[in-house]
Amino acid sequence: MNLPNDYEPIVILIPAKNEVNTVAQVVSTIKAHVAAKVVVIDDASTDKTASVARAAGAIVLPLPFSLGAWGAIQTGLRYAFKHGFNIAITMDADGQHEAESISTLLAPYVKGQCDVVVGAYPQRGSFLRRTAWSFFRKLSGIVLSDLTSGLRAYNRTAIKLLASPAATLLDYQDMGVLILLHKAGLRVIEKPILMYPRINGHSRIFSSWWAVVRYMFYTGILCIARFQHAKSKPKAEAFESQG
Amino acid sequence: MSYQVTSAILGLFLASTILWLIRRDYLHSRHALWWFLVALIVMLLGIFPTIIDKLALQMGVNYPPTLLFILGMGMILVKVISIDLHQSSQEKKLRRLAQRLAILEGEHFEQD
Repeated sequence: MNLPNDYEPIVILIPAKNEVNTVAQVVSTIKAHVAAKVVVIDDASTDKTASVARAAGAIVLPLPFSLGAWGAIQTGLRYAFKHGFNIAITMDADGQHEAESISTLLAPYVKGQCDVVVGAYPQRGSFLRRTAWSFFRKLSGIVLSDLTSGLRAYNRTAIKLLASPAATLLDYQDMGVLILLHKAGLRVIEKPILMYPRINGHSRIFSSWWAVVRYMFYTGILCIARFQHAKSKPKAEAFESQG
Repeated sequence: MSYQVTSAILGLFLASTILWLIRRDYLHSRHALWWFLVALIVMLLGIFPTIIDKLALQMGVNYPPTLLFILGMGMILVKVISIDLHQSSQEKKLRRLAQRLAILEGEHFEQD
Protein backbone atom coordinates (compact mmCIF):
# COMPACT_ATOMS: atom_id res chain seq x y z
CA MET A 1 0.00 0.00 0.00
CA ASN A 2 1.39 3.37 -1.00
CA LEU A 3 0.84 6.37 1.19
CA PRO A 4 2.38 9.83 1.18
CA ASN A 5 5.12 9.99 3.75
CA ASP A 6 3.86 13.00 5.67
CA TYR A 7 1.16 10.87 7.24
CA GLU A 8 3.52 8.31 8.59
CA PRO A 9 4.35 6.98 11.07
CA ILE A 10 1.05 5.21 11.57
CA VAL A 11 0.13 3.16 14.61
CA ILE A 12 -2.69 0.62 14.83
CA LEU A 13 -4.27 0.43 18.31
CA ILE A 14 -6.13 -2.70 19.33
CA PRO A 15 -7.80 -2.80 22.75
CA ALA A 16 -8.18 -6.41 23.83
CA LYS A 17 -9.77 -8.11 26.79
CA ASN A 18 -9.73 -11.89 26.86
CA GLU A 19 -9.38 -12.19 23.07
CA VAL A 20 -6.80 -14.98 23.04
CA ASN A 21 -8.54 -16.80 20.18
CA THR A 22 -8.56 -13.93 17.73
CA VAL A 23 -5.88 -11.41 18.66
CA ALA A 24 -2.94 -13.20 17.00
CA GLN A 25 -4.78 -13.53 13.70
CA VAL A 26 -5.90 -9.89 13.83
CA VAL A 27 -2.34 -8.69 14.50
CA SER A 28 -0.70 -10.80 11.80
CA THR A 29 -3.34 -9.87 9.19
CA ILE A 30 -2.73 -6.18 9.85
CA LYS A 31 1.04 -6.62 9.73
CA ALA A 32 0.67 -8.35 6.35
CA HIS A 33 -1.36 -5.44 4.95
CA VAL A 34 0.14 -2.26 6.39
CA ALA A 35 3.61 -1.06 7.23
CA ALA A 36 2.60 0.23 10.63
CA LYS A 37 3.39 -0.38 14.27
CA VAL A 38 0.73 -2.56 15.89
CA VAL A 39 -0.02 -1.90 19.55
CA VAL A 40 -2.31 -4.17 21.56
CA ILE A 41 -3.61 -2.68 24.80
CA ASP A 42 -4.31 -5.56 27.13
CA ASP A 43 -7.24 -4.49 29.31
CA ALA A 44 -6.28 -6.73 32.23
CA SER A 45 -7.10 -9.99 30.45
CA THR A 46 -7.23 -13.14 32.53
CA ASP A 47 -6.11 -15.33 29.63
CA LYS A 48 -2.93 -15.30 27.54
CA THR A 49 -3.99 -12.39 25.30
CA ALA A 50 -0.87 -10.35 26.13
CA SER A 51 1.71 -13.05 25.41
CA VAL A 52 -0.08 -14.27 22.29
CA ALA A 53 -0.23 -10.72 20.91
CA ARG A 54 3.45 -10.17 21.72
CA ALA A 55 4.35 -13.41 19.96
CA ALA A 56 2.40 -12.22 16.91
CA GLY A 57 4.64 -9.17 16.73
CA ALA A 58 2.60 -6.51 18.46
CA ILE A 59 3.78 -4.14 21.16
CA VAL A 60 1.67 -4.91 24.22
CA LEU A 61 0.67 -2.29 26.78
CA PRO A 62 -0.58 -4.31 29.78
CA LEU A 63 -3.02 -2.40 32.00
CA PRO A 64 -2.74 -3.35 35.68
CA PHE A 65 -6.53 -3.44 36.01
CA SER A 66 -9.41 -3.13 33.58
CA LEU A 67 -10.21 0.41 32.42
CA GLY A 68 -12.88 -0.54 29.92
CA ALA A 69 -12.80 -0.14 26.15
CA TRP A 70 -12.16 3.60 26.09
CA GLY A 71 -9.60 3.55 28.92
CA ALA A 72 -7.63 1.01 26.91
CA ILE A 73 -7.88 3.00 23.68
CA GLN A 74 -6.78 6.17 25.47
CA THR A 75 -3.74 4.29 26.76
CA GLY A 76 -2.89 3.60 23.12
CA LEU A 77 -3.52 7.21 22.14
CA ARG A 78 -1.21 8.43 24.90
CA TYR A 79 1.43 6.02 23.61
CA ALA A 80 0.85 7.31 20.07
CA PHE A 81 1.17 10.92 21.24
CA LYS A 82 4.30 10.24 23.27
CA HIS A 83 6.01 8.44 20.40
CA GLY A 84 5.19 11.03 17.77
CA PHE A 85 2.78 9.07 15.58
CA ASN A 86 0.83 11.17 13.09
CA ILE A 87 -2.07 8.80 12.61
CA ALA A 88 -3.59 6.34 15.07
CA ILE A 89 -6.11 3.79 13.86
CA THR A 90 -8.24 1.92 16.39
CA MET A 91 -9.55 -1.56 15.60
CA ASP A 92 -11.36 -4.25 17.54
CA ALA A 93 -9.51 -7.40 18.54
CA ASP A 94 -12.44 -9.69 17.83
CA GLY A 95 -11.93 -9.87 14.08
CA GLN A 96 -14.87 -7.60 13.24
CA HIS A 97 -12.81 -5.21 11.16
CA GLU A 98 -11.01 -5.98 7.93
CA ALA A 99 -7.38 -4.98 7.61
CA GLU A 100 -8.28 -3.88 4.06
CA SER A 101 -10.44 -1.11 5.55
CA ILE A 102 -7.33 0.70 6.78
CA SER A 103 -6.55 2.12 3.34
CA THR A 104 -10.16 3.35 3.08
CA LEU A 105 -9.72 5.21 6.36
CA LEU A 106 -6.44 6.76 5.28
CA ALA A 107 -7.63 8.02 1.91
CA PRO A 108 -9.30 11.23 3.21
CA TYR A 109 -6.05 12.26 4.96
CA VAL A 110 -4.22 12.26 1.66
CA LYS A 111 -6.44 15.10 0.52
CA GLY A 112 -6.28 16.77 3.95
CA GLN A 113 -10.06 16.66 4.28
CA CYS A 114 -10.42 15.89 7.95
CA ASP A 115 -9.03 15.17 11.41
CA VAL A 116 -10.95 11.99 12.20
CA VAL A 117 -12.28 9.25 9.94
CA VAL A 118 -14.87 6.81 11.24
CA GLY A 119 -15.30 3.49 9.49
CA ALA A 120 -19.06 3.21 9.28
CA TYR A 121 -21.21 0.16 8.80
CA PRO A 122 -24.63 1.46 9.83
CA GLN A 123 -26.45 -1.55 8.35
CA ARG A 124 -25.26 -3.62 11.27
CA GLY A 125 -27.01 -3.78 14.57
CA SER A 126 -30.48 -4.64 15.68
CA PHE A 127 -33.57 -2.47 15.42
CA LEU A 128 -32.99 -1.50 19.05
CA ARG A 129 -29.47 -0.31 18.40
CA ARG A 130 -30.48 1.74 15.39
CA THR A 131 -33.29 3.33 17.39
CA ALA A 132 -30.80 4.23 20.13
CA TRP A 133 -28.49 5.80 17.57
CA SER A 134 -31.14 7.98 15.98
CA PHE A 135 -32.18 9.09 19.46
CA PHE A 136 -28.62 10.13 20.35
CA ARG A 137 -28.15 11.82 16.97
CA LYS A 138 -31.13 14.05 17.69
CA LEU A 139 -29.99 14.68 21.24
CA SER A 140 -26.42 15.62 20.39
CA GLY A 141 -26.77 17.14 16.94
CA ILE A 142 -24.00 14.92 15.59
CA VAL A 143 -24.83 13.74 12.09
CA LEU A 144 -22.80 10.56 11.74
CA SER A 145 -24.60 7.36 10.83
CA ASP A 146 -22.51 4.88 12.85
CA LEU A 147 -21.95 6.24 16.35
CA THR A 148 -20.31 3.29 18.05
CA SER A 149 -17.91 2.09 15.37
CA GLY A 150 -14.61 1.01 16.88
CA LEU A 151 -12.79 1.43 13.58
CA ARG A 152 -11.51 4.98 13.53
CA ALA A 153 -8.50 6.96 12.39
CA TYR A 154 -7.25 9.98 14.34
CA ASN A 155 -4.67 12.52 13.21
CA ARG A 156 -2.12 14.20 15.49
CA THR A 157 -4.51 16.99 16.56
CA ALA A 158 -7.20 14.49 17.51
CA ILE A 159 -4.69 12.21 19.25
CA LYS A 160 -3.50 15.14 21.36
CA LEU A 161 -7.04 16.10 22.34
CA LEU A 162 -8.15 12.56 23.17
CA ALA A 163 -4.98 11.69 25.09
CA SER A 164 -5.61 14.62 27.43
CA PRO A 165 -7.11 14.30 30.94
CA ALA A 166 -10.31 15.92 29.63
CA ALA A 167 -11.14 12.62 27.90
CA THR A 168 -10.07 10.31 30.72
CA LEU A 169 -13.41 9.94 32.48
CA LEU A 170 -15.23 8.78 29.35
CA ASP A 171 -16.22 5.13 29.28
CA TYR A 172 -16.85 4.28 25.63
CA GLN A 173 -15.32 5.28 22.32
CA ASP A 174 -18.57 6.70 20.97
CA MET A 175 -20.78 9.69 21.75
CA GLY A 176 -18.57 11.19 24.46
CA VAL A 177 -15.54 11.12 22.19
CA LEU A 178 -17.50 12.47 19.21
CA ILE A 179 -18.93 15.32 21.29
CA LEU A 180 -15.44 16.19 22.54
CA LEU A 181 -14.10 16.27 18.96
CA HIS A 182 -17.08 18.31 17.82
CA LYS A 183 -16.59 20.83 20.63
CA ALA A 184 -12.94 21.28 19.69
CA GLY A 185 -13.99 22.02 16.12
CA LEU A 186 -12.28 18.99 14.59
CA ARG A 187 -13.61 17.65 11.32
CA VAL A 188 -15.01 14.15 11.57
CA ILE A 189 -16.07 12.27 8.46
CA GLU A 190 -17.37 8.79 7.79
CA LYS A 191 -16.27 6.24 5.25
CA PRO A 192 -18.38 3.18 4.52
CA ILE A 193 -16.59 -0.07 5.25
CA LEU A 194 -17.44 -3.73 5.57
CA MET A 195 -17.59 -5.44 8.92
CA TYR A 196 -17.48 -9.13 9.64
CA PRO A 197 -19.66 -10.70 12.25
CA ARG A 198 -17.60 -11.17 15.40
CA ILE A 199 -15.58 -14.38 15.32
CA ASN A 200 -16.38 -14.94 18.96
CA GLY A 201 -17.46 -12.82 21.87
CA HIS A 202 -20.04 -10.11 21.91
CA SER A 203 -20.50 -6.36 22.01
CA ARG A 204 -19.08 -4.81 25.12
CA ILE A 205 -21.74 -2.12 25.11
CA PHE A 206 -24.77 -4.26 24.25
CA SER A 207 -23.88 -7.27 26.38
CA SER A 208 -26.97 -7.50 28.55
CA TRP A 209 -30.22 -5.68 29.14
CA TRP A 210 -28.89 -4.06 32.26
CA ALA A 211 -25.78 -2.92 30.37
CA VAL A 212 -27.98 -1.41 27.65
CA VAL A 213 -30.05 0.53 30.19
CA ARG A 214 -26.91 1.80 31.89
CA TYR A 215 -25.36 2.74 28.57
CA MET A 216 -28.46 4.59 27.36
CA PHE A 217 -28.68 6.53 30.61
CA TYR A 218 -24.98 7.36 30.72
CA THR A 219 -24.86 8.50 27.09
CA GLY A 220 -28.10 10.44 27.40
CA ILE A 221 -26.70 12.38 30.36
CA LEU A 222 -23.48 12.98 28.45
CA CYS A 223 -25.36 14.40 25.43
CA ILE A 224 -27.48 16.71 27.56
CA ALA A 225 -24.59 17.84 29.76
CA ARG A 226 -22.42 18.77 26.78
CA PHE A 227 -25.22 20.17 24.66
CA GLN A 228 -24.85 23.79 25.74
CA HIS A 229 -21.08 23.69 25.60
CA ALA A 230 -21.12 22.54 22.01
CA LYS A 231 -22.36 25.93 20.83
CA SER A 232 -19.69 28.02 22.52
CA LYS A 233 -16.18 28.16 21.14
CA PRO A 234 -13.82 25.79 22.93
CA LYS A 235 -10.76 27.09 24.70
CA ALA A 236 -7.61 25.80 23.06
CA GLU A 237 -5.70 25.58 26.32
CA ALA A 238 -8.33 23.30 27.83
CA PHE A 239 -6.55 20.30 26.35
CA GLU A 240 -3.03 21.65 26.19
CA SER A 241 -1.79 20.02 29.38
CA GLN A 242 -0.79 16.40 29.30
CA GLY A 243 -1.05 14.76 32.70
CA MET B 1 -32.78 14.11 84.20
CA SER B 2 -33.74 16.84 81.81
CA TYR B 3 -33.43 16.52 78.03
CA GLN B 4 -30.65 19.10 78.13
CA VAL B 5 -28.35 16.72 79.99
CA THR B 6 -29.06 13.96 77.45
CA SER B 7 -28.40 16.21 74.48
CA ALA B 8 -25.27 17.65 76.13
CA ILE B 9 -23.90 14.13 76.74
CA LEU B 10 -24.63 13.05 73.16
CA GLY B 11 -23.14 16.25 71.72
CA LEU B 12 -19.98 16.05 73.82
CA PHE B 13 -19.55 12.35 73.03
CA LEU B 14 -19.86 12.92 69.27
CA ALA B 15 -17.59 15.97 69.35
CA SER B 16 -14.89 14.24 71.39
CA THR B 17 -14.98 11.20 69.06
CA ILE B 18 -14.43 13.46 66.04
CA LEU B 19 -11.67 15.40 67.77
CA TRP B 20 -10.01 12.14 68.82
CA LEU B 21 -10.11 10.90 65.20
CA ILE B 22 -8.56 14.13 63.96
CA ARG B 23 -5.86 14.03 66.64
CA ARG B 24 -4.93 10.44 65.86
CA ASP B 25 -4.57 11.35 62.14
CA TYR B 26 -7.30 8.91 61.12
CA LEU B 27 -8.87 11.79 59.17
CA HIS B 28 -6.88 13.42 56.43
CA SER B 29 -6.25 17.09 57.24
CA ARG B 30 -8.32 17.99 54.14
CA HIS B 31 -11.41 16.70 55.97
CA ALA B 32 -10.37 17.76 59.45
CA LEU B 33 -11.64 21.34 59.15
CA TRP B 34 -15.14 20.21 58.13
CA TRP B 35 -15.36 17.69 60.91
CA PHE B 36 -13.95 20.12 63.44
CA LEU B 37 -16.80 22.51 62.57
CA VAL B 38 -19.32 19.68 62.84
CA ALA B 39 -17.94 18.77 66.27
CA LEU B 40 -18.24 22.39 67.36
CA ILE B 41 -21.86 22.71 66.17
CA VAL B 42 -22.89 19.38 67.70
CA MET B 43 -21.34 20.37 71.01
CA LEU B 44 -22.96 23.80 71.00
CA LEU B 45 -26.42 22.47 70.08
CA GLY B 46 -26.06 19.66 72.60
CA ILE B 47 -25.32 21.98 75.50
CA PHE B 48 -27.67 24.77 74.39
CA PRO B 49 -30.51 23.07 72.51
CA THR B 50 -32.62 26.21 72.74
CA ILE B 51 -30.39 27.87 70.14
CA ILE B 52 -32.35 26.11 67.43
CA ASP B 53 -35.67 27.37 68.85
CA LYS B 54 -34.44 30.97 68.87
CA LEU B 55 -33.00 30.63 65.37
CA ALA B 56 -36.28 29.14 64.09
CA LEU B 57 -38.23 31.99 65.62
CA GLN B 58 -35.93 34.52 63.92
CA MET B 59 -36.35 32.79 60.55
CA GLY B 60 -40.10 32.46 60.86
CA VAL B 61 -40.08 28.65 61.09
CA ASN B 62 -43.12 27.45 63.06
CA TYR B 63 -41.76 24.08 64.12
CA PRO B 64 -38.08 24.41 65.18
CA PRO B 65 -37.04 20.75 64.68
CA THR B 66 -37.81 21.18 60.94
CA LEU B 67 -35.06 23.78 60.76
CA LEU B 68 -32.66 21.40 62.47
CA PHE B 69 -33.44 18.60 60.02
CA ILE B 70 -33.23 20.84 56.96
CA LEU B 71 -29.89 22.32 58.02
CA GLY B 72 -28.59 18.87 58.92
CA MET B 73 -29.68 17.29 55.65
CA GLY B 74 -28.31 20.24 53.70
CA MET B 75 -24.90 19.75 55.30
CA ILE B 76 -25.00 16.02 54.59
CA LEU B 77 -25.90 16.72 50.94
CA VAL B 78 -23.00 19.15 50.54
CA LYS B 79 -20.65 16.63 52.10
CA VAL B 80 -21.83 13.74 49.90
CA ILE B 81 -21.49 15.80 46.72
CA SER B 82 -18.00 16.86 47.71
CA ILE B 83 -17.12 13.20 48.29
CA ASP B 84 -18.33 12.29 44.78
CA LEU B 85 -16.40 15.20 43.27
CA HIS B 86 -13.29 14.13 45.09
CA GLN B 87 -13.84 10.52 44.12
CA SER B 88 -14.20 11.46 40.42
CA SER B 89 -10.92 13.31 40.46
CA GLN B 90 -9.26 10.35 42.21
CA GLU B 91 -10.70 8.04 39.55
CA LYS B 92 -9.21 10.23 36.83
CA LYS B 93 -5.79 10.19 38.48
CA LEU B 94 -5.96 6.44 39.02
CA ARG B 95 -6.85 5.78 35.38
CA ARG B 96 -4.05 7.97 34.10
CA LEU B 97 -1.60 6.33 36.45
CA ALA B 98 -2.65 2.87 35.23
CA GLN B 99 -2.28 4.02 31.62
CA ARG B 100 1.17 5.41 32.25
CA LEU B 101 2.21 2.18 33.94
CA ALA B 102 0.98 0.17 30.94
CA ILE B 103 2.88 2.44 28.53
CA LEU B 104 6.10 2.17 30.55
CA GLU B 105 5.79 -1.61 30.76
CA GLY B 106 5.18 -1.80 27.01
CA GLU B 107 8.25 0.33 26.31
CA HIS B 108 10.32 -1.78 28.65
CA PHE B 109 9.49 -4.95 26.71
CA GLU B 110 10.10 -3.14 23.42
CA GLN B 111 13.71 -2.40 24.40
CA ASP B 112 14.50 -5.99 25.37
